Amino acid sequence: MGCVRKRFLSSMPYWYYEKKELKDTPSFHDGIDFETESRYRKEGARFIIDTGTKMDLGYNTMATGVVYFHRFYMYHSFKTFPRYVTACCCLFLAGKVEETPKKCKDIIKIASELLSKNKFQTFGDDPKEEVMTLERILLQTIKFDLQIEHPYSFLLKYAKCLKGDKAKLEKMLQMAWTFVNDSLCTTLSLQWEPEVIAVALMYLAGKLSKFEVVDWAGRQPNHLRWWDMFVEGVTMDLLEDICHQVLDLYSQPQQPNSPDSPPMSLTSSTKRELKSVPIVAQPIARLSPVKPIQPIVTGAKLKTDLKSQTDGPGLPPTSVDVVPSQYSYPPGVTSYTNSSFSAQPFPQNVPLQSTSNSSSYPPSYPPSYPPAQANSQYLPPSKSHHPQPQQPPSSQFYPASQSSFSSSYQPQ
Amino acid sequence: MPFNSDEPKPSFQPSNKVKVMSKPMPPPSRGGSYMGQPRSGGTSGMEGSMSVNSIMTTKEKQKYIEDYNFQYCDEASKYEKIAKIGQGTFGEVFKAKDRKTQKKIVAMKKVLMDNEKEGFPITALREIKILQLLKHENVVNLLEICRTKATLSNRYKTTFYLVFDFCEHDLAGLLSNINVKFSLGEIKKVMQQLLNGLYYIHSNKILHRDMKAANVLITKTGILKLADFGLARPFSFSKNSAPNRYTNRVVTLWYRPPELLLGDRNYGPPVDLWGAGCIMAEMWTRSPIMQGNTEQQQLTLISQLCGSITPEVWPGVDSLELYTKMELPRDQKRKVKERLKPYVKDPFACDLLDKLLVLDPSKRADSDSALNHDFFWTDPMPCDLSKMLAQHTQSMFEYLAPPRRPGHMRPHHQQAAVINPTAARATTSSVESGYQDRVF
Repeated sequence: MGCVRKRFLSSMPYWYYEKKELKDTPSFHDGIDFETESRYRKEGARFIIDTGTKMDLGYNTMATGVVYFHRFYMYHSFKTFPRYVTACCCLFLAGKVEETPKKCKDIIKIASELLSKNKFQTFGDDPKEEVMTLERILLQTIKFDLQIEHPYSFLLKYAKCLKGDKAKLEKMLQMAWTFVNDSLCTTLSLQWEPEVIAVALMYLAGKLSKFEVVDWAGRQPNHLRWWDMFVEGVTMDLLEDICHQVLDLYSQPQQPNSPDSPPMSLTSSTKRELKSVPIVAQPIARLSPVKPIQPIVTGAKLKTDLKSQTDGPGLPPTSVDVVPSQYSYPPGVTSYTNSSFSAQPFPQNVPLQSTSNSSSYPPSYPPSYPPAQANSQYLPPSKSHHPQPQQPPSSQFYPASQSSFSSSYQPQ
Repeated sequence: MPFNSDEPKPSFQPSNKVKVMSKPMPPPSRGGSYMGQPRSGGTSGMEGSMSVNSIMTTKEKQKYIEDYNFQYCDEASKYEKIAKIGQGTFGEVFKAKDRKTQKKIVAMKKVLMDNEKEGFPITALREIKILQLLKHENVVNLLEICRTKATLSNRYKTTFYLVFDFCEHDLAGLLSNINVKFSLGEIKKVMQQLLNGLYYIHSNKILHRDMKAANVLITKTGILKLADFGLARPFSFSKNSAPNRYTNRVVTLWYRPPELLLGDRNYGPPVDLWGAGCIMAEMWTRSPIMQGNTEQQQLTLISQLCGSITPEVWPGVDSLELYTKMELPRDQKRKVKERLKPYVKDPFACDLLDKLLVLDPSKRADSDSALNHDFFWTDPMPCDLSKMLAQHTQSMFEYLAPPRRPGHMRPHHQQAAVINPTAARATTSSVESGYQDRVF
């Protein structure tokens, strides 16, 4: 399994960790259990993405910020450095590194809007100074390893080589793209190189979108699978493991209401009810015409489907009728030079799942997936200047103004 | 000052020092006593432990930061400052010596952050990113980035230094010293290395954007290094639909190519080759060939040397933003060879200069074709600089040198490059190992 991990310079710190190392972090030694740390990481990553999306930052900037964030907490505890300050700092630095700079005070302003009063208190009396001071610590911690590669570019590279029905391929690519978005909330970027993550999540998307890769450009006789051309030594076990780490995001039980979270706008009993009821993801709310609610697909179900396909003959995954049909690639994707970053901001209000049969696609099935929780946490009900529109409970979970991560994060 | 890392640490180290794939996996370490802070209830992972109250106080955090051992960012005090040798785009440059080995000499470039409203300067981040990417014999080598310790006395504000391999000379310093004489073969070696460096950085999609003699370093063994990537940036070839919008306020005026002076924002590698041409001519003239005081004057000087700037010699120039706004001398004949001949006797050299100092960037020689020019492949062949440089024991930097004589290249002032041979012997240094630094 190890042979795929090969890309590093001797002088560089090694940024990839074994799973057991990920359970032996400064936070863990500081009394924070693994599950809690995972949640903090997820919340921090989501917050970076939400803030970045609000500021029209590109996916590379957000992803870079998230990777800084994950790396930072391999050296410091969440108790020492509150996650939302660190998240702002990571996004601030990533903005500069990816040539999409944002003013520190603007980031803080968005943060103050997104966060509850309680959480924003962690920024102290002088939030800007807090972020500035942290930036120096961040830079030293990450050893000025500023340039981060993300799986996105590899998805595009791989997709170009695959042969098959073009529409299906694009559908698959879009799905893989979304999985990569969501994978930022996991620690996968601390475990595997972007190439490996791209292969795994494209494999997953291929399975779920029923796009079978039969041939690819540049195929050699010794290539059994398309990815053999790009990464060596990727086993099925490894792929499954990576896929499951992402799929776990969609099946995680909702966290109990944490004391440091603002009160939810819904009573917990309502939430419990909602949890047991299929919730249609936010994007659908903006669609017209609204499609009938489709049965929810849980991560567990997806896993079953994945399994049945992997294991050979089995029932076709009928329930996973995936993927938005409208997608496009980020403009200028062929050249990932800095100059093109600003040209490809993430669309804020593009209805990505504009057509039918989209509701069961991963982005829209986080019934219990953090977005629901996270979004609602960001919206303290007390904010009188932000009146909540009267909406059915489910849409309150996905306020239209804050599109869920997955969907708003798709390339255009 | 003792090495901080040698001090015993009061902190506990996690037991796992697992090696990952033969790479040392740094254990999550902390060096401080902040751990003495009370924990909420002592229950691990309880939500309550992250309530605002349990977060470190400012004081505790300051202590934590002060004591934290950043494993990948050494303290600047591991080097001993010897002398200030320059003033970079974003800070001072020092010559320094490794305290431990007492041998390794480095150049330390301070990252100036005092006036930064937006934290660590984006220009410095760019330079770091680019230097980390570029590893080539003819590009200055970034060794590491060092920090000063955050303490109360510096208000917990760390200062950063970029640490480079030390180079003894810069080309501007060498050229301003009349005792330094370059033979034709040595000039070829300088230019060959310079173009090699440019070829490498351009292949890596980086524009230097500040080519000038002072940014060309030369080691005492005669290896040339392109330096100061403070203005460098990555480039891409734009699609017709979306031209690049780079800033044109780059490159020191005397080395600035005509397209930048005319407001082009969609430029590319040729901007650096114009600078290479200016530097090459300077190898003979010994001072910059076009020393304008204003952008307008610079354009006038360029026109007087390279001929009038017109759409005939440069198709499309009339669509550049400042084409109509600048006063462009008309009916100027191209006199590159004619005016340089008095200095540059070698016809191949003249021809190469003629191909580098081309107005139209699309017709300007690129580094590859320049390297294939007969200039580099005819006798005398490029020859090693170390012998010549061995005669000079004093470090020569433009920053340390007396101001260079101003004055434009005048076509009839033919003897400008003549060097007094009797003055050639530099004072032999009493310090055998090193180079003396002229500090004024």
